[in-house]
Amino acid sequence: MQIKLENIIPIPLKENLQHRSSDIWNTHQVFNAGEWVKIKAPSGTGKTTLIHFFYQLRFDFEGNIYWDNINTKQINVDSVAIVRQQKLSIVFQDLKLFGNLTARENIEINRVLQQPYCTSEKIDEMAARLGITSILNQKASLCSYGEQQRIAIIRALVQPFEFLLMDEPFSHLDNNNKNKAAELIAAECSERNAAFVVTDLDDNNFFNYHRKLIL
Amino acid sequence: MLKKLLKKIISTASGRTKFVMAVIGLSVALLLILSAVQIQANYNELLHGKTNTDSTANFLVVNKQVNNQTINATSLSDEELKQLQSQPFIDGVGNISASRFKASIESYSSTFPFYTDIAFETVPDAFIDIQPKDWQWDENADFIPLIIPNMFLDIYNFQFSVSQGYPQITPDVLKMISFKINLQYSNGQKVSYTGRIVGFSDRISSVMVPLSFMEWANKRFGNSLSNKPSRVVIKTKDPGNPELVKYLQNHGLTADADKTRFSKYRQIVNAIVGVSWVTGAAMLLFALLIFTLFIQLTIASCKTEIQLLITLGASPKQLKSFLMQQFFPFNLIVTCVVLIIIAGLQYVLYHFLQQQHIFLQPYLSLSTIASAIIVVLVLWWVNRSTIKKYIRI
Repeated sequence: MQIKLENIIPIPLKENLQHRSSDIWNTHQVFNAGEWVKIKAPSGTGKTTLIHFFYQLRFDFEGNIYWDNINTKQINVDSVAIVRQQKLSIVFQDLKLFGNLTARENIEINRVLQQPYCTSEKIDEMAARLGITSILNQKASLCSYGEQQRIAIIRALVQPFEFLLMDEPFSHLDNNNKNKAAELIAAECSERNAAFVVTDLDDNNFFNYHRKLIL
Repeated sequence: MLKKLLKKIISTASGRTKFVMAVIGLSVALLLILSAVQIQANYNELLHGKTNTDSTANFLVVNKQVNNQTINATSLSDEELKQLQSQPFIDGVGNISASRFKASIESYSSTFPFYTDIAFETVPDAFIDIQPKDWQWDENADFIPLIIPNMFLDIYNFQFSVSQGYPQITPDVLKMISFKINLQYSNGQKVSYTGRIVGFSDRISSVMVPLSFMEWANKRFGNSLSNKPSRVVIKTKDPGNPELVKYLQNHGLTADADKTRFSKYRQIVNAIVGVSWVTGAAMLLFALLIFTLFIQLTIASCKTEIQLLITLGASPKQLKSFLMQQFFPFNLIVTCVVLIIIAGLQYVLYHFLQQQHIFLQPYLSLSTIASAIIVVLVLWWVNRSTIKKYIRI
């Protein structure tokens, strides 16, 4: 999957952003299939907003975004759902878990929303790699942020995807866990030959990025 | 697995009691409306079914009421006859024509002497309840066949003979006795014929002669008074039809009260069935409203969860079909249970009425099943459109 940005600028931040130089806002930018891209973004520059534009959660922008050369403004809700099920996966900054479901159920629901990409055992395997096996049957609302973040990462990885969006995916993790999570993500993306965009406040070298951009 | 998870996400928020209330409301409404249909079907069957009536048609003798306004003016005009004929509930009208000449009848026998002035009436054969084999008249023969009301013989056998000390007479004996019938020209000259009773009628309460004889005799002996009938026999499928009774009343006509009396009961039954229909329909409307509100409430109370599901990639289509599967089967189950209950009641009713010699179908009527299908379709549509309306993102 390829995502193309064409002069996009968020309407609420228009005034602030117009006088700043940015690799993304108000430029042409193409994120190619299989490309691993890091976007460094200081607070308040519209990092989460950008991820939501990518994922079609927000529409308050000027310019155009293309999913595989299709203008996202012309895609209906059912087609968006198909893209999210088959091609585009995401780790939200605010995690967005169902508090009343267990960790396993939170992951499982994303696995079975479409024809499952992997087996249910794969969840146990990934949980073991990230060290959250013990809380798999615990309600998500009772898990710590660090645990919730790892649940959200695994949830994003159990569905089929060609493009992975990650919004500060390691913000609640210690370095050891960051590395484990990054390894898992890299392995899954390589296996699928998938592209990803990861946003972060600072510099990091968790992945072998093809490009690094500044928002 | 997906269903199980969706159920866990969506049903946790909705109230169990409200759901039970919605289902009960729906059941009562369906029970009322489908029973009304079944009662209507039973009722129609009782009215028009072959097993419950002796003959498919009934005959009523209709004439104008004799009161201060209609004295000596009770004949029915052509206009009135035409109107009567054109009514949808009247299948046929037979004019009863009266003789327009003086006549008398006397016995040949000196042991049983009698003499009386008499008048005849006639009606087309199709309107007479009996067709005796001697009911033929021939101009060249000297013989006139007569049909008299059964009532006349009863009056003789049970009143007259007792009071006068005469022997009782059986119908067969009476049919063998010949009488002398004198017909009188308008100038007073008399001609005698032989008459014999050939049958007894329950339908028309007068002495009847064949139509052909009446036409001939009226021409020959008649005094050229009005030839308009005063009475007619009408043929109708249903003498209890309230429309017929109303029509007769409005036009100052009377008919055998006994036969039309049923009309009152029918009006009452009609009213009751009507009330049941209206109540059932109103209840159904409310039940649909309750169910719609219940669906809205369920969706509203887990709006965040639904939103998140869509964010994660659940398609609105998937959610709609899931919600439909959550709500619609209950509607189906309720309809089936109600149908089973009504079928049971119908079976009991069938057995009960059979003992009273009233025959109904032991099974549900087709119209009840058809109504149930229509109601299910309405429910399906209401469910679907409510879900569609509230799963907008």
